[in-house]
Amino acid sequence: MLLLCTPPEGEIGETIEPGPHRMRASLQLAFARDNALGETTLTFSHQEPPLRVLRAFHPEKNAALAHLLNVSGGLFGGDDLTLKVHVGKGAQAQLTTTGATRVYRCGLHNAPTRQHNEFTVAESAVLEYVPDAIIPFAGANFYQRTDVRLSDNAGLFWWEILAPGREASDEVFAFERVEMHSQILAYDELISIDRIRLEPGKKPLAVPGRMGRYRYSGTFYICKVGADPQIWLDLERQLRATISDLQALDETLWGFSTLKAHGLIIRCLAKQGRDVIAGLHGLWDAGKFALYGHHAVRPRKMH
Amino acid sequence: MKKAGDSRASDGAVTELWLLHLADSALPIGAFAHSFGVETLIAAELLDVGDLEKFLRAWLEESGVVEAVFCRTAFRIAQSTEFPVREWIAINDRFSAMKPARESRKASTLLGTNFLRSALAVCDLRRLTRTASFQDDLPVHHACAFGLVCGALNLDEDGAARAYLHQSLGGLISACQRLMPLGQTRAQQILWNLKPSMVEAAQSSSEATTDDVSGFLPMLDWGSMEHPELLTRLFIS
Repeated sequence: MLLLCTPPEGEIGETIEPGPHRMRASLQLAFARDNALGETTLTFSHQEPPLRVLRAFHPEKNAALAHLLNVSGGLFGGDDLTLKVHVGKGAQAQLTTTGATRVYRCGLHNAPTRQHNEFTVAESAVLEYVPDAIIPFAGANFYQRTDVRLSDNAGLFWWEILAPGREASDEVFAFERVEMHSQILAYDELISIDRIRLEPGKKPLAVPGRMGRYRYSGTFYICKVGADPQIWLDLERQLRATISDLQALDETLWGFSTLKAHGLIIRCLAKQGRDVIAGLHGLWDAGKFALYGHHAVRPRKMH
Repeated sequence: MKKAGDSRASDGAVTELWLLHLADSALPIGAFAHSFGVETLIAAELLDVGDLEKFLRAWLEESGVVEAVFCRTAFRIAQSTEFPVREWIAINDRFSAMKPARESRKASTLLGTNFLRSALAVCDLRRLTRTASFQDDLPVHHACAFGLVCGALNLDEDGAARAYLHQSLGGLISACQRLMPLGQTRAQQILWNLKPSMVEAAQSSSEATTDDVSGFLPMLDWGSMEHPELLTRLFIS
């Protein structure tokens, strides 16, 4: 039923042996379109604690919304969690988290916290993966890998937001390491690779070129495989105008570019997390309308 | 001690000069017309002379290492007995996917194509051309083209990586001289000061592959993405 890839091992250059401090768990979901009802339904779920999925809601016709939940309250050192999602032909799935992903300090004897995400989006299907921010606490050592595979006419709206830490506790860039590797394939060809490694203790982030005076970073991908390349240049201009109406340059930076094919990438740097969220929602809505003719429906928690 | 006139010493001296030539900013490939997003940072007052050395050091630690990894990979491709065309296309495709900003992606391939065309016209690259033809319609990144030519000429791989970083950084500093109040002496001092960082970046690149190398310069990505929106531009990118 699921189109699953084998999780890669040794991505961060070290062998991680199972041990008493590790939590291995996976959450596997499949969405399919019920042609008779014209709805998308969650047809398969495999849940291993602490990962859970709340039941699928139907925020709009044809679409299903699922909230991803980690009942342990966050990610701990040594955790090794996997999320695999398949969106079947013609289905429309929206995934979000119930709150920010907190990555706790990694103990001396623990391996890094690992999160591996795999998304496959079948022909003419749409995946909207709009999670809350990742907050790496002081001492956190976090590795995330995300692979997205898109088939013909498949659509994607996916963002990642990285917070500087627990700002209220004066933890700004106090994590040990955050490493995030993301790649998107369309027709089995790589259209985007984003590999970052942040080690503030070794390479300061508050310098021009990296984060400068900003604290939050976000990346938003909008893709629709096979769309006319001119659409992306037009959408880039349109989204740039959308954001310029919303926010001031001094508080945020928003950059827009076409990918090498089939989509757009948007980079954001911001002083305040709320500006990232507000901007992403505005862009999501505008992008959804431009590509699909109707507005994005925000997950209920955001109302 | 090698004597003047010793053929091996002479060969070594010539190859040193080849490397100097290929990495010379005077090579007419159009590098002087690109800032790779730096122009936007300066226009937005996100980069000034006081921060320039820190910025360039960060560039070396992030983009510099990534570029040098691709340079080395292309160098090794050139040393294959049969030119591996699919591998060559794949690393250039991969590099395109790793460059989020369209303008910098295009600038890199424009310089790469110009560099390769120039080298094919000037150097003896029979090692490459006897098993492959190079057409302008294949996007070739500058770092890859530079590594490929150095490999085909059997130059030193570490030296090629360092030379590539040196000329790249020199190009960025040259752009900064035209964009901010940066004098000749200060510019040369920065280039001099950063030589140990170039060596470190080149060394780091020897420990990574195109599959696992990482880079994090989101502010420069922004600069490159928004460069087309500047009302007044001195540079193409």
